Amino acid sequence: MAGPIVTGNTTSTTEESSGGFLDMLGGLGSYLMQPDVLLPGVVGGLLTGEAYGRLSDIGRQARTGAEELAATQLEQTQFRPFTVTTATGAGMGTRVTPEGGIETTMGLSPEEVALQQQLMGGAGGFFGQAVQPREDREQAIFERMRRAQRPEEERQRLALEERLAGQGRLGVSSAAYGGATPEMLAMATAQEEARNRAMLGAMQQAQAEQMQQAQLGQAFLGAGYVPQQQLMAATQPAQQLAALQQQAQLQGAGLFGEATMSGLEAQLVAEQARANLLGQTGAGLLSGALTPRSTGNSSLISALGSIFGQGGS
Amino acid sequence: MAQQLQSINLVAPAFKGVNTEDSPLAQDPSFAEIADNAVIDKRGRIAARKGHTVVTTNKTVLGTDSLRSIKEYKDNAGNTKIFSVGNNKIISGTTTLADETPGGYSISANDWKIVNFNDHMFFFQRGYEPLIYSNHVGSVEALSSHPHATGVASTMYGHEVLAAYGRLWTADFSTNKSTIYWSDLLDGAAWSGGSSGNIDVSKVWPDGYDEIVALAAHNGLLIIFGKHSIIVYDGATSPASMTLSDTVAGIGCVNRDTVQYTGTDVLFLSHTGLKSFGRTIQEKSMPISSLSGNITKDIIAALQNETEFFRSVYSPEEGFYLLTFTGQDVTYCFDVRGTLENGSYRVTRWPSTKFTSFTRLEDGTLHIGTTDGISTYTGYSDNGSGYRFKYYSPSLTFGDSSRVKILKKLKPTLVGANNATVFLKWAYDFETTYATAEFTVGNQITGFYGESEYTTVEFTAGQLTNARVLNTTGYGTSVQVGLESEIDGFALSLQEINVMALIGKLL
Repeated sequence: MAGPIVTGNTTSTTEESSGGFLDMLGGLGSYLMQPDVLLPGVVGGLLTGEAYGRLSDIGRQARTGAEELAATQLEQTQFRPFTVTTATGAGMGTRVTPEGGIETTMGLSPEEVALQQQLMGGAGGFFGQAVQPREDREQAIFERMRRAQRPEEERQRLALEERLAGQGRLGVSSAAYGGATPEMLAMATAQEEARNRAMLGAMQQAQAEQMQQAQLGQAFLGAGYVPQQQLMAATQPAQQLAALQQQAQLQGAGLFGEATMSGLEAQLVAEQARANLLGQTGAGLLSGALTPRSTGNSSLISALGSIFGQGGS
Repeated sequence: MAQQLQSINLVAPAFKGVNTEDSPLAQDPSFAEIADNAVIDKRGRIAARKGHTVVTTNKTVLGTDSLRSIKEYKDNAGNTKIFSVGNNKIISGTTTLADETPGGYSISANDWKIVNFNDHMFFFQRGYEPLIYSNHVGSVEALSSHPHATGVASTMYGHEVLAAYGRLWTADFSTNKSTIYWSDLLDGAAWSGGSSGNIDVSKVWPDGYDEIVALAAHNGLLIIFGKHSIIVYDGATSPASMTLSDTVAGIGCVNRDTVQYTGTDVLFLSHTGLKSFGRTIQEKSMPISSLSGNITKDIIAALQNETEFFRSVYSPEEGFYLLTFTGQDVTYCFDVRGTLENGSYRVTRWPSTKFTSFTRLEDGTLHIGTTDGISTYTGYSDNGSGYRFKYYSPSLTFGDSSRVKILKKLKPTLVGANNATVFLKWAYDFETTYATAEFTVGNQITGFYGESEYTTVEFTAGQLTNARVLNTTGYGTSVQVGLESEIDGFALSLQEINVMALIGKLL
């Protein structure tokens, strides 16, 4: 099997490496202690550390700047309350509540309020009538129609009575004609038909009136909201202006942010460039200090190379 | 120098009947002051009326009462039956009277009116449920018990009933005097439903108020007689649509039983005498239309004195209309064959006949109701008893009321009166005490050729004519001549009376 063979090889390798590393650290130390290595190396290291520190500061400054920018833009984009007053005296106002919400208030002029109350009251009245049972109204219409019909019926009755009296038939009662004369039966039938028509007409009229009441209520209700609708309509231009203002405000805040961010970015780039320059300088110094020379510091270079350029070799 | 006798010939005396309205002195000799038990015969002479022969042999159910109404039932199948009422009973039969009163039906009055209608006979009397007889039931029954009766109620228990125009009509109720009910078409027992109905004429009376007494149908009209007015409806074949055609104020009908149809007219008795409907309508109750104009006062007096029934009958065969005042036992006989110049009928009087009801059968037989039951108007004796024929002329002045007349002879010419005793009477100057001359008409048996006695006796003419000359006495400015005879078996006609008188000095 391959397992035992690999394990044995590994153990053997670890033991060899452990002994080499300690040897290498010993050699590195002695190498670094050399003057031509130590000074450039320290300077280079300091410069590199400075560059590293500057880069960290640049990040903090950028964050702080961004936060300040956000706070500024938040303030710049804050809703600005406005009010609208119509020509008829109605008005709409907005305000930001302490909780940050936006509260809108509307108010009508006294005349509009009175009109609205009148219309609303009328609507209530019409709706109230529309939901009433129709029977009473049917009866009332029927009675009214009958009142209109009765005089003519009475005239016809009197005429028939006179005619029958003239014919000496006022007292005729025939079973074949419901206990009356043919003429009286015909008149009674006609009057009953008229009564029936009046009754049906009254029912239809009551229904139509009910529908009309509902429609009138609807119309009054709609009309009652007209002042409010007109106020709302009157606020549209103001809302548009407010929106434009908000848009400009947002745009200005954006521009402000962009400009501020551009400055920050430019500062970051510059600081980054400075840091890079300082880092490159330090790196150069370190590179110079750690570069092997013919005098024999190859072991240091090798050692630094193994430390910093591991893998790069 | 002896004066010449003046002859005044009273040809066909009393040809114009009785006249008690005009002044006796101014009267036409053709009138009579009295014409009792007389008729105007076929030759226009005054003659004795016929008598009546009782056909009833068993009148137990009638008791001592008299028949108050007689009517013949007849249906389309030809079934006939004589009904009469009397002694608070409904009676049938002629020879033997049978009680037909329905069981449990109580009657206390006999003023029924009976009509035939569509195979049924109906009896109506105020306050009583109508009775009905039909051949299919076979007995008299209360109307409500009849199989097809409807709507029978006390409101239609009328006193007058009329069968006309396919219906029964009734009126004159106990508490309603202005309503007429009519039955359903062709069903006299159906008084509700169908085309039955009623009419209240209380608003129609021409003078504001009246009460229905009688109904009549004539010439498509429904005639409603009130007590003193008449209403005429046209179109009564459809009563619901009938219309008032005419009204007559001032003339009414006294009693429903005086209404008779003569075929061309309707006769009825009003408070001022006998009237004719046709004339009444034409003349709108003008007084000249009175058919009893010659005895108006007598009729009015009889009307005022009457306490019982009126009965009448029209006989086309005899040519008369009889009107009886039963309470006064007098019958007026109106000759309907023609009218006089003043529009009146010739009238005679039949006193003490005891007639209480009449009916004319389909065959023309005239039945008379009396206490003896049913009689037939025939023969010349009242069921074997004689009756007195009387004729008295008006007072005669012979054209000059200022001169004295001295009667010398009376020469009556009589026809018939076989073996009768005749009393010829005369009086002067309106005296009521008459001088009398009596004679007996010869007994002559009529022998006809070819009959049994032809071989043994000489055959004669059909009628015996007897002319006598009687000497008279006394004098005066006016003379009244009379003739009386007991009629008992033979007819008597007075052809003429020739009065022979001397005209004396001026008074």
